[in-house]
Amino acid sequence: MLGEFEYVMLTAAARLGDEAYGAAIREEIDKATGRRCSLGALYTTLDRLEEKGLIKTRMGDPTPQRGGRPKRMVRVTAKGVQAAKDFYTAVTRVSRGVSWDMNRIADR
Amino acid sequence: MGHEPNRGSIVTHLGDRATDVVSGMLKPEEREVVRGDLTESGEKGVQALRDVLGLVVGRQAALWREWRPWAILVGLIIPLGMLLSILSRVKAGGSAAYLWLYANNWDWTLLKSAGFWFVLRQSATKVFISYLTLACWSWAAGFVLGSASRRRLAGMSVLLLCVMLLCGELAAPLYLSLYRQHLFRVFGNPPVVPASYVDISALTFYRVILPLILQMTLVAAPALWGLLHGAQSGRLTPQGRRWLCSIAMASLILMALQVPGSGIFLIPLRLWVTPFLHSWVLQLAAYWPIAYLISNPISRGWRRIASPA
Repeated sequence: MLGEFEYVMLTAAARLGDEAYGAAIREEIDKATGRRCSLGALYTTLDRLEEKGLIKTRMGDPTPQRGGRPKRMVRVTAKGVQAAKDFYTAVTRVSRGVSWDMNRIADR
Repeated sequence: MGHEPNRGSIVTHLGDRATDVVSGMLKPEEREVVRGDLTESGEKGVQALRDVLGLVVGRQAALWREWRPWAILVGLIIPLGMLLSILSRVKAGGSAAYLWLYANNWDWTLLKSAGFWFVLRQSATKVFISYLTLACWSWAAGFVLGSASRRRLAGMSVLLLCVMLLCGELAAPLYLSLYRQHLFRVFGNPPVVPASYVDISALTFYRVILPLILQMTLVAAPALWGLLHGAQSGRLTPQGRRWLCSIAMASLILMALQVPGSGIFLIPLRLWVTPFLHSWVLQLAAYWPIAYLISNPISRGWRRIASPA
């Protein structure tokens, strides 16, 4: 089973498609969660996902806006898609019938 | 108020410089990617430094999940740091007498005496050789450590410095004091200390500062230099690497035998080595780093000439 942050990263990479690389994934996560994603969290999680075979990474071409430095391009594998799907299904199933309205919970 | 932006830009500049240094601890490929990410996202100064530092700490911590770095810490860093710290203290004590003799008892009329120059030459040679030997041992220790831990160079360097600082300031003085007490217990009589030695050890410079200077300049600096060379030993042929590590290990064993009280722990080794201990070939073995440092650039130059691009 995936961890929450692993799922967030897989989703960000899947959304970006062919444009998925370190800095872009980080920006996507920042926007989606409203929290800063650190470089350490980004790259250690990418390594872990790659070890599990859920993503594949390769070195991209250097670009001028990166000072001539290369990108680490990310591609979600079929196994990664399946793992994300399983996580999403599990979260949806476990959340069914539960309301997170604060007032309703506090009233009980 | 007018100074605020200026101060801010200085902090950003310092943060950027520190980020460059810290990111140097990452693998070259990852370093380039990370620097590119920072350029693209426009992250600078302290923020960038904090981010890169987090990644570097995570990477270094991940390397310690294996058994190998722990074995290197227990088997090499701690014993070598301890031995070098003790020897550094011993050498500092030995040279303090000579330094005190000239620095604290200076008399200009001595310059006219031929005997003074003769004794000065002898003592300077003695102190120089003892300092050079210590620096060579430290370099050899660093070389062995560097060739054993090429992937964890940054972490090992920091650990080596910490161990040396701890041993130099705490463990080595404690060991030497226990050793003196042991001698007193075995031989009964307290060691006869000349009055001048009591005077010397009463001075803070000879008791505290000189050992610290030696620890930094003749132990820590050469050890880190040797560590870098050891890490580059992967470029050598396996046979060459084995040969160099064997010489380094041999010189470190000889070094261990020079530590006061080493006989207590190394009796079997001492019995075997003692007949050879004073042979000039083994004495010279301590200085192999000098031969290596001279011959290495020469042989690289020859290789470059022999295989033009």
